[in-house]
Amino acid sequence: MEYMIDIALIALSAALINNFVLYYFVGICPFIGVSRRVDMAVGMGCAVTFVISIAALISWSITTFVLMPGAPLSCWIAGFFVSGETAARIDLSILSYIVYIFAISASVQFVEMYVRKFFPPLYKSFGVFLPLITTNCAILFACLTIMSHVAGVDNPAERWDLGRALALAFFGGVGFTIAIVIMAGIREELDLCDIPAPFQGAAITLIVGGILALAFMGFTGVDNGLRNALTQRAPAAVYTAVDPAHVNSNRSIDSETFYLQAVVS
Amino acid sequence: MATQPNAAERFAQGILPENPVYRQLLGLCPTLAVTNGLKAALTMAGAVAFVLLCANVMTSLIRNLLKPHLRIVVFTLTIATFVTIADRFLAAYMYQMSKTLGPYIPLIIVNCIIICRCEVCASKQSPITAAADALGQSIGFGLALCSIAAVRELLGTGMIAGVRLLPAAWPDWGVMILPPGAFLTFGLLLGLVNWLSRSKK
Amino acid sequence: MTGDTQHAAIVPDSVSGTILIGNLAQAWLVLALALIFGATLAGVQIFLGPIIEANKLNETLQKVPELVLGQALADKMAAENQHLDITRMALSDGAGSAGRRFYTVYEARYQGDVRGWVIKTVGQGYADKIELLLGLSADAGRITGLFILDQKETPGLGNKIADAQWRAQFIGKSVEPSLTVVKNGAGAGHEIDAVSGATISSRSVTRMVDTAVVDLRQQLVSRLHATDGGKG
Repeated sequence: MEYMIDIALIALSAALINNFVLYYFVGICPFIGVSRRVDMAVGMGCAVTFVISIAALISWSITTFVLMPGAPLSCWIAGFFVSGETAARIDLSILSYIVYIFAISASVQFVEMYVRKFFPPLYKSFGVFLPLITTNCAILFACLTIMSHVAGVDNPAERWDLGRALALAFFGGVGFTIAIVIMAGIREELDLCDIPAPFQGAAITLIVGGILALAFMGFTGVDNGLRNALTQRAPAAVYTAVDPAHVNSNRSIDSETFYLQAVVS
Repeated sequence: MATQPNAAERFAQGILPENPVYRQLLGLCPTLAVTNGLKAALTMAGAVAFVLLCANVMTSLIRNLLKPHLRIVVFTLTIATFVTIADRFLAAYMYQMSKTLGPYIPLIIVNCIIICRCEVCASKQSPITAAADALGQSIGFGLALCSIAAVRELLGTGMIAGVRLLPAAWPDWGVMILPPGAFLTFGLLLGLVNWLSRSKK
Repeated sequence: MTGDTQHAAIVPDSVSGTILIGNLAQAWLVLALALIFGATLAGVQIFLGPIIEANKLNETLQKVPELVLGQALADKMAAENQHLDITRMALSDGAGSAGRRFYTVYEARYQGDVRGWVIKTVGQGYADKIELLLGLSADAGRITGLFILDQKETPGLGNKIADAQWRAQFIGKSVEPSLTVVKNGAGAGHEIDAVSGATISSRSVTRMVDTAVVDLRQQLVSRLHATDGGKG
């Protein structure tokens, strides 16, 4: 149950509260370039969501099994060449960015093939924008966020599993779609307005985007409140004195801790 | 084939006439994301300059070996490698700044400016011209970032690069530091640049 | 057209051979580049990896003397080139496996005696996560320092929790009874004055401090007695 709540909060946060476009500023190029018509915007949003999900799946898998410090596959393969001790400390994370960008290219190729086969008119209307999804910051950003929650946390219990990673990616794409569709709707209206010449095109889009971002700021803190309300543990109780009888049975989790105690002086 | 601009022209064009942010509208993600402080903006501009210079020169050196269908792969590989190097460098020697800039340094990989310059200039011209182009575009990018960062930081905190400029009575416009401020500042400055370039004609 | 087909029919092998060689050359180029770049990155990792690791550790370690001893004493120690022995450990709050909280705790000793503890804890703030360092006295009964490592609260409002002035309220307070946040000036010894306009951020920090103390105090005290018992 707590898992579902966590997934729901990650999804809500990625889609609305920390919206990829309006809070993290990723995916701005298509936000300004492709948002002229609502149907194009919906198509682009769906394509990006599709690509993000596949890319997240690939990058989470590769990070967890190959790239992370101490990743199973790399350690197993390295075990054939070096001693077990050194093999366990293999850290391929320096290759992360290269792997991610190629995973994204592969995902875009895959989606391109799929769309060309099953939705030919859509493929034609996309034109050059479909391969350009490779350079959409939102997808690489999703991969980087997943990496920071998988390889960047010291505590194995807090590491993201595939469900959380996919939730972030998919609903990040949904949030991107929401933002770009709203912008397209507004721009369709703006086409009928008398905008001063210096502001036509990108400038007015950015200003409208700013007002949208202001509106979305109203969602701040919603996931915090929901998390507190839904996962209420026993509140910080008034501390009672240490019972000497229990002193020795306190579990210090040396045997259960997964990570090493570093002695630093 | 039309005559292509030489090194000096590439350099000069990158700064204002073909400014990557204000005229070509490329690389908008870092423009909005890291401009809430002047120091962060300068660091990002420096990182992009390094990657752009290295990627341009490298691409230009191997330009005769590139064939059409694999060149994007080669560009991507080159850019990703140099971005990784820049990211590790920042994490080692400017750790706090690296934490501030966060995921936006690796996002340089998909920064359209670099791929665009590799495609348009470096894959067709000599390393010297490519280097000049990279420098010009980087200076233009840096100018754009700093202009936005200066406005946002000044109005948002009364300081520029940590130096207090406005009197203490200034009510810090918090919205400038937040996302809406980024969009609004950039939109208004873009309108200003458009108006200036129109009135010059 | 027929001429071309005939031409193609007459020399298919060399044409396709050229294409094959062209593709191979391309593949060799990509492979060669991949190898060169891979070697470069391996070199970068070897040289810069340890520096980055040290940066990450030092970010927290540098704060420990100040949080345990207070700024004045920490500066004096540094001036005299004295050091605290700092041991890093992982502790949990002893709850069931679901929802168990983990903490990184630093034990600070000076010449064998435990002088204090620094607990690193992460919690939910108003806008995003807050990461803070909490300094406790050796008997984990008094707060000796508070430092906000990372926060993304509202600039101008919530991010005043990082100000030394606001954090100074915590220093010297006893951990029992647990701290509460009030809005109009703190009176009693366990009250914290909220940042005006940022009650939720203030409450988050206070709640994180209280929770960390409740979760860990028993273990810290037992560790202290374990070492004292060994010496005594």
